[in-house]
Amino acid sequence: MTSSADAVMTKPPTTPPGSQLAGEGSMWFFIIGDLIIFSVYFVFYTWHRGINQELFLESQLQLNQGIGFINTLILLTSSLFIALGAQSVHEGEYRRALALMRTAFFIGALFPVLKMVEWLPKINAGITPGENLFYLYYYIMTGLHLCHVLLGLVIQAFVLRHLASEKTPDAEFVDSGAVYWHMVDLLWIVVFAMFYLMR
Amino acid sequence: MNYFLHNTLTHVWAFLMAVTVAAWGFSQHSDGVNPALTIGVLVIAFIKAQLVIWHFMEVKRSPAWLKKTCWAWLIVTALLILIFYAYFL
Repeated sequence: MTSSADAVMTKPPTTPPGSQLAGEGSMWFFIIGDLIIFSVYFVFYTWHRGINQELFLESQLQLNQGIGFINTLILLTSSLFIALGAQSVHEGEYRRALALMRTAFFIGALFPVLKMVEWLPKINAGITPGENLFYLYYYIMTGLHLCHVLLGLVIQAFVLRHLASEKTPDAEFVDSGAVYWHMVDLLWIVVFAMFYLMR
Repeated sequence: MNYFLHNTLTHVWAFLMAVTVAAWGFSQHSDGVNPALTIGVLVIAFIKAQLVIWHFMEVKRSPAWLKKTCWAWLIVTALLILIFYAYFL
């Protein structure tokens, strides 16, 4: 009674106790890839902004600052409810989790509505991606982000259905949806600073 | 109600909301090139990003490789943006 069994017993864990991924590994692979792609866009934007500083500043000041600001508060609040919902699932409080996740969904759904309120007057006034380099970046980056928001809402809808139908929901599935939504929030924090706030 | 008030996630959210309001408020008083404001709002944005990663995405409880990857993304992205911004001043 020696060697191999003892070796297995005494082998130190590769991950410290209590340390684990929130969500599936494949979701994190996607998130990290997405963050890197957005970083490349952020760096190119900063470079072109530097070359065309006056044009970018002038165009930036034409944006609806109030909607950008409210959308930031919306995503932060929706993220809070998602995080509390995921935490509740881990605590076995499934009814509370469902109520929190539903609230997060409805708050998050306001984002695309306000994005349309921001975009449509501009498009009707003839300010499209062809207007100048700033607006090309603006529509591409906020448009890409909006696609992420819409996908995030679809994922949240699946999570809500799962929470409503399962007696013991799969916490990893709920966590995967949650971390995706937080990534959407995280990217908007940087987009908001770069397109609306920096001078 | 106690569940919300005594929850770290709620405290983090309250801080995120407060600094968002502050950064937005400061930027509304500036129409021209303003390096101090820009560096301030960018630093605040990356602090907010780190708080979302750490607390909301629960990276604080994740394996070391994920913590390092997230820190690396944050630091490299923030530095490149700040360097390119400063280069054209």
